Parts: sequence; C-alpha cells; structure tokens
Amino acid sequence: MQLQNSSSKPSEDLSKNHLQDDNMIVENSPAEAIQTWLVTKLSKQLSLNAKTIDVREPLTRYGLDSIDAVTLVGDLEDWLGCELPSTLLWDYPTIEKSAEYLVKEFDVSAAVSPVASSNVKDAGSDKTEKVEASSKSSGWGGLWNRISGS
Amino acid sequence: MHQLKQYWVAEALEKDLGDPTQPESVMSFKSVMELDEREEFPEKDVEWLYNWNLHHYHIPVEYGGELKSYEEFVAFVRVLSRRDLTTSITFSTLFWSGLVWMAGTHEQKQKLAKFIKDKHGAMCLAYSERAHGSDLVGSDVQATKVPGGYLLNGEKWPINRATISGISVVLAKTDDSGGARSLSLFVVDKSEIDPAGYSNLPKIKTLGIRGSDMSGIRFDNCFVPEEMRLGQEGAGLELGLKGFHLTRTLCAAFSLGSADTALRTVLKFALGRKLYGKTVFDIPHPRTTLVEAFLDILVCDCVTIAGARSFHVAPEQSSVSSIFVKYFVPTAVEKVVQNLSVILGARFYLREGHDEGIFQKVVRDNAIISVFDGSTVVNLHALILQLRQMAKYRAKRNAATYEKLRSRLESRFSLEAPLPPCERAKFELFSRGCDDVLQGLEISLEHLYGLKTDASVDAEVLQKLITLTSTVLEELDAQDEFLASSGFEYGHDQSPESFELAKKYCTLHAAAACVHMWVYNRKILGGFFAKGEWLAICLNRLLMTFRPSSGIIPSIYIENVAQELLKLDRENKMFSIVPLQLAQAQSPEEKTHAASELQLQA
Ligand SMILES: Cc1cc2nc3c(=O)[nH]c(=O)nc-3n(C[C@H](O)[C@H](O)[C@H](O)COP(=O)(O)OP(=O)(O)OC[C@H]3O[C@@H](n4cnc5c(N)ncnc54)[C@H](O)[C@@H]3O)c2cc1C
Repeated sequence: MQLQNSSSKPSEDLSKNHLQDDNMIVENSPAEAIQTWLVTKLSKQLSLNAKTIDVREPLTRYGLDSIDAVTLVGDLEDWLGCELPSTLLWDYPTIEKSAEYLVKEFDVSAAVSPVASSNVKDAGSDKTEKVEASSKSSGWGGLWNRISGS
Repeated sequence: MHQLKQYWVAEALEKDLGDPTQPESVMSFKSVMELDEREEFPEKDVEWLYNWNLHHYHIPVEYGGELKSYEEFVAFVRVLSRRDLTTSITFSTLFWSGLVWMAGTHEQKQKLAKFIKDKHGAMCLAYSERAHGSDLVGSDVQATKVPGGYLLNGEKWPINRATISGISVVLAKTDDSGGARSLSLFVVDKSEIDPAGYSNLPKIKTLGIRGSDMSGIRFDNCFVPEEMRLGQEGAGLELGLKGFHLTRTLCAAFSLGSADTALRTVLKFALGRKLYGKTVFDIPHPRTTLVEAFLDILVCDCVTIAGARSFHVAPEQSSVSSIFVKYFVPTAVEKVVQNLSVILGARFYLREGHDEGIFQKVVRDNAIISVFDGSTVVNLHALILQLRQMAKYRAKRNAATYEKLRSRLESRFSLEAPLPPCERAKFELFSRGCDDVLQGLEISLEHLYGLKTDASVDAEVLQKLITLTSTVLEELDAQDEFLASSGFEYGHDQSPESFELAKKYCTLHAAAACVHMWVYNRKILGGFFAKGEWLAICLNRLLMTFRPSSGIIPSIYIENVAQELLKLDRENKMFSIVPLQLAQAQSPEEKTHAASELQLQA
C-alpha cells in the first residue's frame, strides 16, 4: 500500500534544537541522545544535511512517508534494545516528541548511557554494517558443519 | 471425506455445487458463461451460496459463525473460484468483515454478524479514488466532524459491489493536515443513513468478471453517526493496512481456483485431441507444459497454506506472510495460464466451444487478482522496506529464538496440528525482522539429514533434496550478505534492482515453504507427496531463475508427475498437495438426494 511522499522543503531557519555540526554531537540527556540518533539516521538515509532537520517539524516534511516511519521504528528497536509500538512515529510525529515519549515510557538507559553513546555515531551506518557470520559459528547441533560439508 | 477435517467444508460445498461441466449443476460452466456474456450480476448463484450458509464461514465462531481457520477458508474459496471468479470475487467482499472482527467494538461485531447472517448482508471496501489508487494517504474523501458524527463528502471508485451491498467500508480523511493519522474508517450502513446523502456510480465495463457490480459510490454531505466509525479517529490507515494482510492472503484462493480450471480444461483437450496419429498429451512439449503447470500449482499450494495458517500461528508476522502469498501466487498462476493457453492454441481465444469457452474467461478474470488489494509492485515495495531487517534478524538468531521458531514452524506446517484461534489484534505493520519460513530453513535441512537413516525415503531423492535445499540456503546467505553491505533508501524511489531482490526473496521463500511442507507432512499426505520427486523438481524450477539447471532431475521424476496428473484427473481430484475429491457428474435422481443433504453437520 503506497502512501504519500511529502513534497514540501524543510524549513531553512534553524531552531536551537538544530545540531550545530555533524561532528559536534553534544548529548546532555537521554532525550537528546535519541534526537541525535534520529537526526543522524534521517540525514544519512534521506541524504539531507543534518543541519536542516528541525526536531520540532513533522517527519513527513523530510520525505519520510508513513510506511518508512514504521520501518524506522525497527531500527530504533535494534538500537534501544526494546520493543516499541510500530506506530510510534505516527503518534509522535516529530523527533522531539518521539524522543520525549521514549524516555518517559521505556528504559533506554542501555543505549543512551555515556558508554553506549558511541552507538549514536553508528546511526545510519548500514552501508558498512555486515551481517555477521555468527549464525555459521553458533553451532546449532553441529548442523552448520554438515551443511558446509555437503 | 478427506482425512484432514479442515478440508471437509470445501469438499461438501464442491459436492453440492456439482460438476461444473454438467449444465444442470449450480454455477456450471454453461451458466456462468451465459451470465458473463450478458454481463449480468450472478444474483441467483450468490443467493444459493447464502442458502448453503457459506456466509457463516465468514463470521468467527465467537460471533455465532463458523469461521475457525483460514486454511479451511482458502480451501472453500478455491472450489468456488474454480467455477467462476465473478461470483467468487463478488461473494468475497464479505472478507472485509475481517476489519470489524479485528477492530470493532463488541456491539459493532454483534451487529455485523446479524447483518450478514440474518439479512444475508454484504459489504464493499471503498478505499480507491479516481485520483488515488495505491496512495491511500492521498485520499480526498472527507469526513468532517459534526455533533454526534461526521459529514462524508467525495467519491470512491472503482469499487467492487459498491452498488449491490448494504454496507460500504469507507476510508476518509478526518484530519486535513495529512499524514499517517489523518484517515479514519467508517462502516457505513446504507439502511441507516439518509439516501439523499449518497448515490451509486454507473456500472463500469471491465475486461473480466464482467457480471460484477463494478461501480462506485459518492457522498454529498452525508451524515454518518459516530457509532459507524471503526476504531479510533486516525486509525484508518493502520486498520486499512492490517485488513489487507488478511485479504491479500485470501486472494491466492482465487488464483488457485482459476489454475485448477485452466489446467483441467487444457488437459482434457490435450488428452482428447489427436494430431500426427497421437494425442497432444503425447507430444513432449505440451506434456511438459502441463506437468509444469501442475508443479507450479503445488508450489503455490505450499505458499498459500503456509500463509493462511500463519494467521493463527504467527499473527505478528502478517505484514510479510501476506506479501509472500500475494506477490507469489497470482504472478505464478498468471504465468501458468499463459503457458497453458499455448496448448489450447486457437481455442484459447474462442468464446465458445471447449468446456463452453471457460478458458478465455479464466484468462480475463484471473488477470485482476495481481492488481487489486495491493498490486504486485506495491507488495514488493512493502517487502523491500523490510528486507534489511529480516537479514539482520536472521544473523542474530540464537538458541532461544531458534527453539521458538522450531515450534512455530511445526504448528504452521504440520497440517494435522490444530490451529489456535486467529488473534487479529496481534497483526503488526512490520514483522520486526521475523520471517519464520526462511529463517527456519536450517531446521528442515536438519530434518532432511536426519532422514538418511529412514528406510521409507528413497536415498537418491533425499540426496537431491538436501543438495537443492542447501542451494536455497546458500542463495539466501548471499542475498543477506549483499543486503547488509548495500545502501538502503526510504521512500518510493526504490531502484528496479531492489525489486529484483525482493522477487528473489519471495522465490526463495516459496522454495522453503515447499521443503517445510514436505518435511512436516510426509507421513500425513503420503503416496505421491511423500515420495518427494515433485519437491525436487519444484526446487530445481524455483532455483533455475538464479542458477542454471544442473541437470539434477532425472526424466523419470517428470514422467511420474505426469502419471500423477493423469491419475488425479481420472479420479476427479483437485490438483493440489491436498487432492480433495471434486464433484462427480450425477444422475438427476442423485441430485435431488444431495439437495436434501445440503446443510453441513456442524
Ligand atoms: C476489477 C477491479 C476491482 C477493484 N475493486 C476495488 C475495491 O473493491 N475497492 C477498492 O478500494 N479498490 C478497488 N479497485 C481499485 C484497485 O485497488 C486499484 O486499481 C489499485 O489499488 C491500484 O491503483 P491504480 O490502478 O490507481 O494504480 P496507481 O496507484 O495509480 O499506480 C500506477 C502505477 O504506478 C506504479 N506504482 C504504484 N505504486 C508503486 C510503488 N510503491 N512502487 C513502484 N511502483 C509503483 C505501478 O506501476 C502502478 O501500476 C479495483 C480495481 C479493479 C480494476
């Protein structure tokens, strides 16, 4: 089922919630860490300059349509390590609102603690992410050896 | 009766409808062709089906109906569809009651059950608009909030059964700002609104299903009370998409019914027509084409049955399980029909003659299945957006997820395993990376290795199955690796290459579904099915798209399939992994007797 793409352009005027620079990520709170993750992810995957993403604007303004917003929740789940409502970004349609909601309703500490914050920089790095050959080495009853030997 | 109870309803319906080649049967080829020529709505046939109580099988047991399993459902839609897609597709607008079973209030459910049962009621689904087909969020029909309800304005078109139905399920905009929460669904009961508020659009002339009530509906300041809204305001898109998960899977039954008729009628021709001193069936090319059509149907069976059962076993995977069925089956059956038309030669184009000209009707009617309820490209696109997550999830499987997967696979594929009720509230917009069928392929491969010590399995066939299944796994590994290392884009501008990747995933999925089906039902389905030669050929055929044939299939396997095809035809059984008994030609005396037995014992 195909849903609309927004055609409007992101606003040019930068609010205080804008990131100042791609490389200057300052995290003061879990909510900000989540915002940063989302901004980085969107800027990479939609080929946008992170600076032009306003966390208070609806995500659809950046060309993310309804179904994309559902799949993005999957990536958020991977990062935060918890199961989220699939319509999260429909119900909290700005980066600011969704980050606020996540901090309030879920335990996001594992992902957004300072130790884990390096993950934030990985957002959108799917281009280099490799599916590990872990399945091959996990040795389910020696099955893998037999398969590779067949 | 078939040993599997879930096929009894289909067999009973089949028996009571009678042999479609006999003119006196209900929905005989002769009568459906006459209706089609006149482009007439099959009113009598629809009423016959209500009198048979088929509509009860659209209402869940909890609401006084007989709907227990979607596997059973697919089977009876299939026997209906093998006679006539016009009637079958018309009757099937009852599928849309699924939205109410999924999201309605207790009162809405009770009311709908009464409407269907007592009033022989039916509904239509009004999503599409002239300006917006696939683009649901683009809908222009407005529902403006007023005290006690909404005012509907705008037009839905082209809608199957928009005119001849008591309820229209309408998707309308409740929030002008647009976006995923801007739509709501309304179950508009025409008997409870002011007739001045709506009008029916004229019948649309179509290529196939000519007798259908293809029309549209227009609303002009039509007041609909709040109780007609389904779910929360703003839930329209979410429910609309989840409703498609159900119906996309059920659509495969239309295709499978068509395929049965196409193959049966062409086989009859090939066996009867003599050329060069032998039958057409004896000429290698047509013979192989017929055998391949049969094999393709068997693959589609495995995909469809697995998809229907998954609603009960893994409802949270509905977003992908429905795509696998809706992409694969209609596309494969279109090809089957096209290939078979070559054998009928000139006759495929004639609107009379061989079996009343039913084949050309199948060609026309069948062509719509891959378009409605989400076209082939729309399904592939929805899969593209989830492929990467499935690859990631597959890489992360561990012992715990693996054990759960093993148990779900068994319930999904073992046709003797009882199905739990379908929990429609568990349908999800994305599957969180899960796809049991391909992610559990190693489990069935393990079973195959385990069979090496089983004397009931032919060692040569087994070795081929192991080799072919391992190849499916290799292809899947390679695709996952590729997905993980390639870029990913959101949106609608997916590259043509990513559509090819999605198609490949669906093909691998079909192969895996066949392997699981064999592994879990060898003992249950027995005979030809158990021998597994068909499976080896099917896997080889599916893999051929990416790997040139390695000459792995001995010609005797193909000959054995040809013999099975002839046997099923002789015994008048469905071309299926579950070859249920089809209606036999009856004497008039037997017919009267059958009519008195119409009602099924519960
Ligand atoms: C016989 C019949 C019965 C029908 N019954 C109903 C009914 O009961 N209820 C109802 O609501 N509607 C019904 N429809 C309408 C049907 O569902 C729509 O025709 C269908 O959704 C496709 O829309 P469209 O043809 O307007 O194509 P569009 O959405 O306009 O798309 C045009 C083309 O763009 C391309 N495209 C679109 N989306 C994508 C994508 N995501 N990725 C790549 N390419 C894409 C495809 O090539 C597509 O064919 C019926 C139609 C017919 C013919």
